[in-house]
Amino acid sequence: MVTERRQEFEASLIRTAEARGQEAGAALQRASLLRDAVHRFSRNRGAVVAAFGFVIMIGFVFIVPWVDSASPYAVDFSKAYIGPSWAHPFGTDEFGRDLFVRTALGGRVSVEIGFAATIAIMLIGIVYGAISGFAGGWLDNAMMRFLDALYGLPYLPFAIITVTIFGVVNFWTMVVALTVASWFTTARVMRGQIITLKENDYVRAAHALGARWYRVLFRHLLPNTLGVLIVFVFLELPGVVLGEAFLSFLGLGISPPKASWGTLAQDGYSSYQSHPYIIVVPALAIAWLILSAFFIADGLRDALDPRTRENF
Amino acid sequence: MALLEVEDLHTFFKTREGEVHAVDGVSFTLDRGMTLGIVGESGCGKSVTALSIMGLVPPPGRVVSGSVVFNGRSLVDRKQRELEDIRGRDIGMIFQDPMTSLNPTLTIGTQITETLRRHLNMSRDAARKRAVELLEEVHIPNAAGRLDDYPHRYSGGMRQRVMIAIALACNPKLLIADEPTTALDVTVQAGVLDLLQELRIEHEMAMIMITHDMGVVAETADDIIVMYAGQVVEHAKTLDLYDSPEHPYTEALLAALPQLEGEDVRHGRLTSIPGRPPDLIAPPPACRFAPRCPYAGQDDCAVVPPELREIRPGHWVRSAHPASERMGHPVGAR
Repeated sequence: MVTERRQEFEASLIRTAEARGQEAGAALQRASLLRDAVHRFSRNRGAVVAAFGFVIMIGFVFIVPWVDSASPYAVDFSKAYIGPSWAHPFGTDEFGRDLFVRTALGGRVSVEIGFAATIAIMLIGIVYGAISGFAGGWLDNAMMRFLDALYGLPYLPFAIITVTIFGVVNFWTMVVALTVASWFTTARVMRGQIITLKENDYVRAAHALGARWYRVLFRHLLPNTLGVLIVFVFLELPGVVLGEAFLSFLGLGISPPKASWGTLAQDGYSSYQSHPYIIVVPALAIAWLILSAFFIADGLRDALDPRTRENF
Repeated sequence: MALLEVEDLHTFFKTREGEVHAVDGVSFTLDRGMTLGIVGESGCGKSVTALSIMGLVPPPGRVVSGSVVFNGRSLVDRKQRELEDIRGRDIGMIFQDPMTSLNPTLTIGTQITETLRRHLNMSRDAARKRAVELLEEVHIPNAAGRLDDYPHRYSGGMRQRVMIAIALACNPKLLIADEPTTALDVTVQAGVLDLLQELRIEHEMAMIMITHDMGVVAETADDIIVMYAGQVVEHAKTLDLYDSPEHPYTEALLAALPQLEGEDVRHGRLTSIPGRPPDLIAPPPACRFAPRCPYAGQDDCAVVPPELREIRPGHWVRSAHPASERMGHPVGAR
């Protein structure tokens, strides 16, 4: 009697153990780092709202000039200074041009310059920082001291000087002007990342397994900096857009009749007392883009940095 | 001919305060299929010895002199490119912390196949097949299904098994395990050690087991080297070393092990070795253990550096007063 129950008990123990074993062996629902990150990002309400705002703004600047029948350049003085209405949601300027389509078109210029300059900043910063951090030793030292010297350059005056040296203001000179003195931080962050990652055991393990330097760099180091770099894109973008607006506001921007948010704001500045909406619209557009980019960066940082996983 | 011959190896680190003599004249040989245990406390040069063999000493460290002959060919003064071909193919290595030894952005499968494709020029499919076999060999359940998982879905013990699988991927002749179980908890440790032993026999590998845990080497090693302050202080067969330790340091290490049963079981506090390891920039001039040695002061051992000598066949010791030559009890005996 007792032995029977004992056997039964032991059999049940084995059954549970087996079930456990199968459970442990079964492939759990597959999750990747990316999916985890998306999940964490989607739980951050501010970041999600900002992402929607960002997409709406990008859609606005790229789609509106394409579908809106109003010409952004046709001058019609009979329609000058019409306040916001159904026909002209953002009103018209002193030449009777529709501000809705001009804001969108100007935004397109601003956003395009912003993205191009951000990409340029990232590329230069990544290459410089990665070389410096990966090489180490005297090369690292020399490159960082050079960067220290460059750090002394003030961003906007240097951009102004660059534009002046080129003599012409177009898309590419603006990109160069905005890039030339703003890639330093990216390079430093990149170098710091590479140096930290270099100490990781899996990098040592890769060396111990006979991996060549390029494999270690491109396979083990760079992919691990991706999270930080994505965040940095959204931190750089607002700065560049603001810089472009600033240059344009000073009269160093895209030449009329073309427009960017900066030149639109400058147009509005001359008549802000009588027709305040003309300056308010581009200013709000700039603020919208910058704030949404910052909130996205914030959300991305929380989502991609495994150290801030407290709400996971 | 021995598989690995290390002869009078010196590895120094240049620092602002001076040269750190991390490895100072280490010699040993390792035959095919044998296991060598290297024990000693933190900073005694165990890991640097291993890294010197691999040619992976991080700057500002440098192998200053000595020779490392692996499989009949010298590894010192070899070009990095040639060493890269040997690493991972002929010599595998396992690191201490499995939680950080795998790249979090690559799947387990990618990280195993990487080595196979690098050294054996396998096709993608063949490498994947081999990877599944390897995972099964290290007893990962449902290996095929878990190949595309990222490391964060593996526990510490499983990750160490994956590291072992990677190290074994190319059938190396020598496996260097640098504290392979230190970061794991005790039950998992036993499993990993059993696995290592099983695979070592199966693959007919030689192994260097680096650890500070006297219990770990007792089970796995054929020979044991005890290192202290960059030098080999005792080198003997495992059983011989445990039965009759000669060097006062080895004796102290063994005495520090907690005893669970037997006549000499102690109650209360565990014994420890008084003092701390010496400064390796300016080590004690003669015997490096002299400042902590209970037998020092009886003779001139703090003035004349003791040589590593064969006290009986196969048992080497570097001390002026090994246990079998000692008379009476030390001054201030424990």
